[in-house]
Amino acid sequence: MAHHRILTANIEYDDQRQIAAYEKRGGYAALRKALALPPEQVLAEVKLSGLRGRGGAGFSTGMKWGFVPKNSGKPVYLIQNADESEPGTFKDRLLLERDPHLCLEGMIIAAWALGSRWSCIYIRGEYAYPAVCIEQALAEAYARGYLGKNILGSDFSLDIILHRGAGAYICGEETGLIESLEGNPGRPRIKPPFPAVVGLYGCPTVVNNTETLAALPWIINNGAAAYKAIGTDKSPGTKLISASGHVSRPGVYEIDLGYPLLEFLNNECGGIRGGHRLKAVIPGGSSVPVLRADELAGVCLDYESLQAAGSMLGSGGLIVLDETSDMVETALNLQHFYAHESCGQCTPCREGAHWIEKIVKRILAGRGTAADLALIESLCGQIGGHTICPFGDALITPVLSLMAKFPEEFSRLIDQGLDSLVRESYG
Amino acid sequence: MAEQEINAADLVKLTIDGKQVCVPKGTNLIEAALSVGIEIPFYCYHRHLSVAGNCRMCQVEIAGMPKLTIACNTIAVEGMVVRTHHTSPAVVAAQRATLEFLLLNHPLDCTVCDEAGHCKLQDYYYEYSASASRVLEDKVRKVKAQPLGPEVIYDGERCIMCTRCVRFCAEITKTAELAVLERSDRSVIGVHPGKELNNPLSGTVCDLCPVGALTHRRWRFNTRFWYTQESKSICTGCSTGCNARIAVRDEQIVLVRARLNSAVNQEWMCDEGRYGFERFQPCGRLARPVIRSGLELRAVPLEESYAAAANGLRMENDGAAAMLLSPLLTLEEMWLALCFFAELMGGDVQSAWVALQLKRRKLNSVEQLLVSPDLAANAWGLPLLGAGNHGDGDYRTRCEENYLSLLARIRRGEVRRLLLVGDRALLDEDLDIELIDALLAVEQSVAITPRGLLDGESLDAERGLLGAHQLCRIVLPGRTVHEKSGVMVNKDFRLQRLSRLLTPPENSLPEWMHLQGIAQAGGKVLAGGYIGDERLLYAEMAKRCSALAGISLRDIGDLGIALSPQGGRVL
Repeated sequence: MAHHRILTANIEYDDQRQIAAYEKRGGYAALRKALALPPEQVLAEVKLSGLRGRGGAGFSTGMKWGFVPKNSGKPVYLIQNADESEPGTFKDRLLLERDPHLCLEGMIIAAWALGSRWSCIYIRGEYAYPAVCIEQALAEAYARGYLGKNILGSDFSLDIILHRGAGAYICGEETGLIESLEGNPGRPRIKPPFPAVVGLYGCPTVVNNTETLAALPWIINNGAAAYKAIGTDKSPGTKLISASGHVSRPGVYEIDLGYPLLEFLNNECGGIRGGHRLKAVIPGGSSVPVLRADELAGVCLDYESLQAAGSMLGSGGLIVLDETSDMVETALNLQHFYAHESCGQCTPCREGAHWIEKIVKRILAGRGTAADLALIESLCGQIGGHTICPFGDALITPVLSLMAKFPEEFSRLIDQGLDSLVRESYG
Repeated sequence: MAEQEINAADLVKLTIDGKQVCVPKGTNLIEAALSVGIEIPFYCYHRHLSVAGNCRMCQVEIAGMPKLTIACNTIAVEGMVVRTHHTSPAVVAAQRATLEFLLLNHPLDCTVCDEAGHCKLQDYYYEYSASASRVLEDKVRKVKAQPLGPEVIYDGERCIMCTRCVRFCAEITKTAELAVLERSDRSVIGVHPGKELNNPLSGTVCDLCPVGALTHRRWRFNTRFWYTQESKSICTGCSTGCNARIAVRDEQIVLVRARLNSAVNQEWMCDEGRYGFERFQPCGRLARPVIRSGLELRAVPLEESYAAAANGLRMENDGAAAMLLSPLLTLEEMWLALCFFAELMGGDVQSAWVALQLKRRKLNSVEQLLVSPDLAANAWGLPLLGAGNHGDGDYRTRCEENYLSLLARIRRGEVRRLLLVGDRALLDEDLDIELIDALLAVEQSVAITPRGLLDGESLDAERGLLGAHQLCRIVLPGRTVHEKSGVMVNKDFRLQRLSRLLTPPENSLPEWMHLQGIAQAGGKVLAGGYIGDERLLYAEMAKRCSALAGISLRDIGDLGIALSPQGGRVL
């Protein structure tokens, strides 16, 4: 199956980072086109395209923009969320490094549609090289008049500021990001109010993922209908999938949404690494439920199909596990990540994340008890839905789904552990 | 809120646990529930701080919402149907879960914790959890006994990270010394590098702390809370009249906490007032009435002193009469003193011959949030009683000028009969050689004061002066502001109740009893007959004083009531 190349059309060219080459390949034509349209029409076009947020939640981008109050008298801020930190996700990095002007052009179009005069790219602290690429691209764009005062001779002016994070996962959550951008520790805000109304410095703010914004130039160039024709009805367009783990060819792939998962693994990723069998897949970054190999038949890479299968497309961070993977160890690995990254603001997540990690660690050390599995389940119920931000839901998902899908691996450890304890005690 | 008129259009109706609730628009669910007597538990919420929403204790179920919602961050809207722990099993489970998490790493050192007995972690555990621990893991260790500033000490393990202290310093004092350091379960409260928690309201963070994490350095490990007697009263440090709870054990003030009163001090208190409660208790006390002849002091029985005082002060004597009132007197005492001045001394209470000490002082910007620029708790009681109203300018200026001009009259020898009522009626700092001589020269002078003097010895310049009262002919042993109850009026004309905290020493009598005694000895009756009880005294004053017409002690209650500057309730 031939896939559309909307985001990665020019990703192979090494000179794509330079503005001249970018322009030569049709770059910034969409911006010229968009600036000739009234902002409302750009917004309508994006709404019509059915583009959904690529950061993980999959919320309609056009609808999100629609929440910004008109004529609030306050500036509107647009933030490009390039704080890509979800384990297993490395798709934005490709765009930022290889085609930074695409990320900028999409952002300028979005700023025009939203009436934002001041925008910001919040980039993950560890993304030092992508930050350099963006910085160079910004300088070039300013020099060519795509940014700054009176862009391309229009009334529209826009400044984009690049802000590097300090390395906290939670700063990818939009209100955590806003707090961080304001100079505070990255602790998410309580909602309501939502950022679209009260965001950065108390002003209406839209936070969009890099991949989402990068899709805008193509939509403007080719029209919403053309975009909507790609993919499935509920998941239009293409999506970057970052495949990692036990596949032969890990990497970032652009696919039309609706592509069967197994086909993707075999055709694009070259199948499971030498001589091994597929055991499980975490399809959308570490925060989505795991799927066993036997559950993957007929599952497609799109929002609705994965949801029906009991998981999520999320950020498109596809983690592939073969039969050599120990699922309790996997659970501990992920749980350690979440316990470390909890911001510590609200009670259930601050206390619960570590507790679960400690219990899993104990099970792995052969000191688990039969009551532990029920305890973890109960704790997850006490955390999920009871926290300020979605981190609480994210942290319980891997362990819960691993326990549900691979119960025998957990109980075997517990039984073995008990045996060895009995042997230790009674010889 | 209850004192404001509210339009029906500004109200919303909702249902909480099946009860109909009607609250002003913009009210959150915690306050809305409270208005019908439903208590939603919380740790991080505070009426006068921003909403943090981090403790997750106040979760409620709202019809139509997929998840539980925190009540503190939910504004009541028309038709909302809310279920609290009284009717929702999901809320009960969520509260139990929250408490399990909060207690997970809590050291459970209640046996040595000052908060034990008034700790919200204890209270809520008994009320909303009372389930056994499921923890097999080790607890997280954090900083212990970490001083944050001169007055406050921090225990990281007890802390539940509600951030009330951080928000108080950021939003109220705007000094922002505190912050949450680290992340996840390593989070602790700390001061920013190079800073310490030393703002003038710093002790307030201990009140705001719902657990034993922040304690007063000077008061910790003093006593178990349940051995104390706690009274609701007001701070008499200045004319703000902060509402407070004062815990006393064995006649020692062992803990002072601010009391929530949105109309006065929210729930804040200044360190000077809080830690300075003891300053109203003088070291030495007068054991018996004393009469001075020349420089010799002689202790006399009460009856003899009353007879001498009545004889000296009565209006039949020649010369001008003057009275200096302490701003620490209760309103009842001021009223009775004015009656005394008119009835026995034949003076005019509206004249400039009655003065009240209201010394101005400088305050820094943080102090100005709460503290009034004076040391005169009840100074605004006097104009309410129809005195102290002459002169120009605002009351503060008039009062100050009047006091100084009366001192000038004493210096010039114009005053022949002088009555000093209460502690600090005449400030020590105003005593210079000239004034000392002038006071000694006043023919008839009587002081009623809680302060001591060298009993039975002569006045000796080398021993130093203990106060102006020592220069009077007759000194009667009065009581301090902590040893009497009554009412006071703060600078906003709010009438508030003062409670007796400490047992007065033997032989001392409150100022108002002495005044009645002297009047009786002089053949006069004040207030229609001899009154033996503070409550009856208030009732008598309220009956005779138009400013207080129809206001009973019960009306004043714990939170006081607002009066207009002319007297009478603000409607």
